Amino acid sequence: MWGRWVGFCTRTEPGVSLAVFRIGVGLCVMITVGWVMGADLVGVIWVDQASGGIGTVGSGRIVSALGGPTLPVMNGLSWAAVLAGGCLAMGLGGRVMAFVALQLLMATVDINGDAGGSYDELLENAVWLCVLGPTTTTLSLDCRLRTGQWTSEEGVGVWARYLVVFQLVLMYASTGYQKVSSYWVPGGDFSALYYILQQPSWHRFDMSWVAYVFPITQIATAISWFWEVLAPFWLLAFFWSETPDRPGVARELANRWRVREVFAVIGLVFHASLLVLLDVGPFSLVSLAFYAGLVHPWEWPGRGATRI
Amino acid sequence: MAVPSPDGGMNRAAWRDPTVQGELAAWTSRLNAVGIGITRTELEQRVWDLAVGYVDVRTAVLTPFQPYYRYCGTWQSWKMFIAPHRYPSRLHIDVYERGAWAPLYVARSAEHDWHRRQLDHDRMRASIFRYAWRHYRRHYAKFGRWVAIHVARERPDAEQVRLRFYKYRTATPVEVRSHTEPEGEWTNELLLDLAHYRCPEGECPGAPKAGR
Repeated sequence: MWGRWVGFCTRTEPGVSLAVFRIGVGLCVMITVGWVMGADLVGVIWVDQASGGIGTVGSGRIVSALGGPTLPVMNGLSWAAVLAGGCLAMGLGGRVMAFVALQLLMATVDINGDAGGSYDELLENAVWLCVLGPTTTTLSLDCRLRTGQWTSEEGVGVWARYLVVFQLVLMYASTGYQKVSSYWVPGGDFSALYYILQQPSWHRFDMSWVAYVFPITQIATAISWFWEVLAPFWLLAFFWSETPDRPGVARELANRWRVREVFAVIGLVFHASLLVLLDVGPFSLVSLAFYAGLVHPWEWPGRGATRI
Repeated sequence: MAVPSPDGGMNRAAWRDPTVQGELAAWTSRLNAVGIGITRTELEQRVWDLAVGYVDVRTAVLTPFQPYYRYCGTWQSWKMFIAPHRYPSRLHIDVYERGAWAPLYVARSAEHDWHRRQLDHDRMRASIFRYAWRHYRRHYAKFGRWVAIHVARERPDAEQVRLRFYKYRTATPVEVRSHTEPEGEWTNELLLDLAHYRCPEGECPGAPKAGR
């Protein structure tokens, strides 16, 4: 058992999937903070009352050290976070830059607990994974500076990509297990999505029209609930697809029925629908960045069908 | 850390909201249907006691790891749309000027769109969603002051500004198809006299606290 664990931890693969994940995460940092700046909201939700904000801000180590949540401080931190996100996307500075981006992101989005959501936590976890994993071995400025090429076949620990997928599955499963509302769980009328779409806090436009396609929302509710609750099987299917040469009937069936891909397609439809119908910030974009981890390095276009 | 937790909902006053009471009623009916005799009040008390104990244990177990979460941004709280809010609230901001009330901002309205770019942003949506709950009333009052300062600055003739939520039960599919709109009620009204908020730039934070 121990030998298998050591073998797993030392197994390597090309870093293209991790690199695409890193690019997505960096862009999400830029978008998350940039959206607030673009809407002129920094001076409303991220500063204290004396600076003209609503005044529901807390503080943090970095903000306190800089003198508190004043407009110049928070504007500066916002610009720095966007810049760090850009560096992360370009793959400059490796893990150090990822850590800097994480601290700047936390200094901004975490300062007002009212004005945020789970997407902030998901993004912070994503950036932390960029600190833990070697995400700049390829498709990065670091690679270019180190090798003179934009790409490299240098191996990275496969564990890093498993952490990415594990985090994604953990998020879906955890939220699924908390959906114990009578509108979600089997035995009810599966009307959760219909009513969620009616909530003015989140919908982009009037959604009363879905009353005329109510059965579709019921089917979507059931699929969403089962998809989230069964998400741990997605991790298993991912593992089986990553190790197809090993024996096992379950592995063979899961790979033949493309269970990993089925889960991914449901997720893509789910997030595309969210993007169009509800305004829940960058949640879908951050989630989709994680999907890069689901793609095995040999599956990316232009890399041929062979495993390395 | 990702193990489900009710900590965000551990506010007994919030449990009086009709959405929560509706959930408890639905689960009471289900339990009764399978032969478990329990009233809604008993179920609420049992769930509350269980949740309090569970949160205490969970907090104790996770306490040693708090620095890791705090410094590495690794919180794992995934309470996303765990239940539809059957009694949502829609923010209305009205201004009193020239002897009459007029709507300034109505959430999701294309017509009454004062500061829409800011107030319709997802982060303000999240804030305003919270302000509708009574346990966020102090934050709501701060938001009211911010609104009053900006209305006073932008509309010299305005005398008062009013913030309130229209709380209503969302229509069922059948009701929508039959064009029946459930009645709602106005809640959480804030009435602010703008005379207190006409001030030189930067001095308004000293304005009196918003009344309720």
